[in-house]
Amino acid sequence: MDIFSNLWLGASTAFLPMNLFYGFIGCLLGTAIGVLPGLGPTATIAMLLPITFGLPPESALIMLAGIFYGAQYGGSTTAVLINLPGESSSVVTAIDGYQMARNGRAGAALATAALGSFFAGTVATILLAVAAPPLASVALNFGPAEYFSLMVLGLVASVALASGSLLKAMAMIVFGLLLGTVGTDVESGTPRYVFDVPELYDGLNFVAVSMGIFGICEILRNLENEQERSVGVKRVTGLMLTREDFRRIRWPVLRGTALGSFLGVLPGGGAMLASFASYAMEKRLSPNGAEFGKGAIEGVAAPESANNAGAQTSFIPMLTLGIPGNPVMALMVGAMILQGITPGPNVISDEPDLFWGMIVSMWSGNLMLVILNLPLIGLWVRMLTVPYHLLFPAIIGFCCIGAYSINNSVFDVFVMAGFSVVGFALSKMRFEPAPLLLGFILGPMLEENLRRAMLISQGDPTIFVRSPLSLSLLLVAVVVLGLVLSPSISRKREEAFTE
Amino acid sequence: MLKIRNGRDFVGGATMILVGLLFIWFGRELEAGNSFQMGPGYFPTMLSLILMALGALIIGQSLVVEAEQDGPETWNWKAYGLVILAPIGFGLVLAGLGLAPTMFFLIVGVASASRYANWRHSILLGLFLAACCVLLFTKLLSLPVSAFGPWVPFVGGLS
Repeated sequence: MDIFSNLWLGASTAFLPMNLFYGFIGCLLGTAIGVLPGLGPTATIAMLLPITFGLPPESALIMLAGIFYGAQYGGSTTAVLINLPGESSSVVTAIDGYQMARNGRAGAALATAALGSFFAGTVATILLAVAAPPLASVALNFGPAEYFSLMVLGLVASVALASGSLLKAMAMIVFGLLLGTVGTDVESGTPRYVFDVPELYDGLNFVAVSMGIFGICEILRNLENEQERSVGVKRVTGLMLTREDFRRIRWPVLRGTALGSFLGVLPGGGAMLASFASYAMEKRLSPNGAEFGKGAIEGVAAPESANNAGAQTSFIPMLTLGIPGNPVMALMVGAMILQGITPGPNVISDEPDLFWGMIVSMWSGNLMLVILNLPLIGLWVRMLTVPYHLLFPAIIGFCCIGAYSINNSVFDVFVMAGFSVVGFALSKMRFEPAPLLLGFILGPMLEENLRRAMLISQGDPTIFVRSPLSLSLLLVAVVVLGLVLSPSISRKREEAFTE
Repeated sequence: MLKIRNGRDFVGGATMILVGLLFIWFGRELEAGNSFQMGPGYFPTMLSLILMALGALIIGQSLVVEAEQDGPETWNWKAYGLVILAPIGFGLVLAGLGLAPTMFFLIVGVASASRYANWRHSILLGLFLAACCVLLFTKLLSLPVSAFGPWVPFVGGLS
């Protein structure tokens, strides 16, 4: 079997002591930032990107991926124990998880979250290993027109799945695409919007932009309503699940995994949407639906499985097509580029060690997280007692030095400061920053493919509908847009987000 | 009589139109070309026009749809000022002062943005992080910045 030899190749990379070590560091850091509210995986990965320059590509990407899925685990711990979700993806876990903890079943809730996540992570990893190679081989035949349509579909889908106003999400994407045009035009070599600043000829640095928009801006928002956290947690006992518990979480875990895997692949989807959707679904389907909100174990099992599955499968479009579906994946694309790897369908054939190593490391990382998390819960909770007024200066310090070390230039520090103002102003006007970053990353690719396609067709825009593949991608985009705009669905969508 | 029902969205839409106009203005010298041979100005101009259209739609919506009630906005100008100026100050003095003093002043300065800040904690944190950063970045990752820059008497420039 081909897949087994591939996984074997991956295992031989992922289980190298050095890669295991970096994977471990990633998981540990990820759990820590998952526990701490106010510091998310996007900002952390952006901060650490410059430090990974010196590492071999496999180790760097394994560590960064570990941060991402480690955060999913960490976020649920605090959600259950103190009703304080560390990540947006564990907001719904807090509803029933905290009630379980109040009923003295914190241990069972944490065990459910960990086991559900592990099961989902395993399934999603297998899915990734099975689905990625054929997807990539399809993508190898993509011309510029198909790529353009695919990216349009991705952007449309990310609008559809974003929370809040559709118009505003679209405006953010277009704004991001515009920011992506800053720098030297690839085709003609003409500098655009550079204002004679030499540093801008390479374009705005996306690490600096995302640290400003996600890292510093987050701090500004947090300082507005600064509150001291008071943490009182009882000792967690009774990690074992009863047979009755296993019977009850069996189907929610399976359904959560399936839904999460599906939603994770969609652009703009990923962990948060998956957890919300699966909680809403489980509430309808479960025979114990009335218990939801009062400490139903299903209400922990389903969203925790779904968010982990979604986190893993969101790697699929990034690894096979080179198209990131969420800001974290956008940063992973950036990390690959910094390591001299061009993300896209060629990665599987050109860098099999890296590709399969990363997949296997996701599974081993999940295993580490289960082993790591349950005994270390006390430590994570104690971390919460680090007050925010000591935490945020450190974050700002690391952001500054991180921005500086990208190109060893203070210009990127100024870019970061500038974009923290932009991000803050946008968030005051209730614009979501995530679509902006997606647009920013995809902008240059989108423009290049558009121009190439038009050149091939000699200015005839029908090239996008003449190829059946491109046509069907665009049709799906139109259908998605139509669905979201239709009144009945948009009402349902609102309900789903408020639930 | 039209009335602004959602002030936040009205401002948001107007900002988007302004951004579109800015990109068109500063890109006015870029050659647009035609759809066959797109020049460097074609894509940005097209995007600016789309952004302005979206801004207009957002404004339109703000005149029709009532704003949802949410809590009053809180503003904390002191914190904004400190947190935004801190990286700029960092950039300005890094080459002169070197990493250690810059980091220390950054931390102590920015920590006062919090209403729970206390001087003793901030100074200790500043010293600790300055030491960590020098160790990690100049020693281990050999970033081209010295621990103490030429502005610092006696030890400056020695790294």
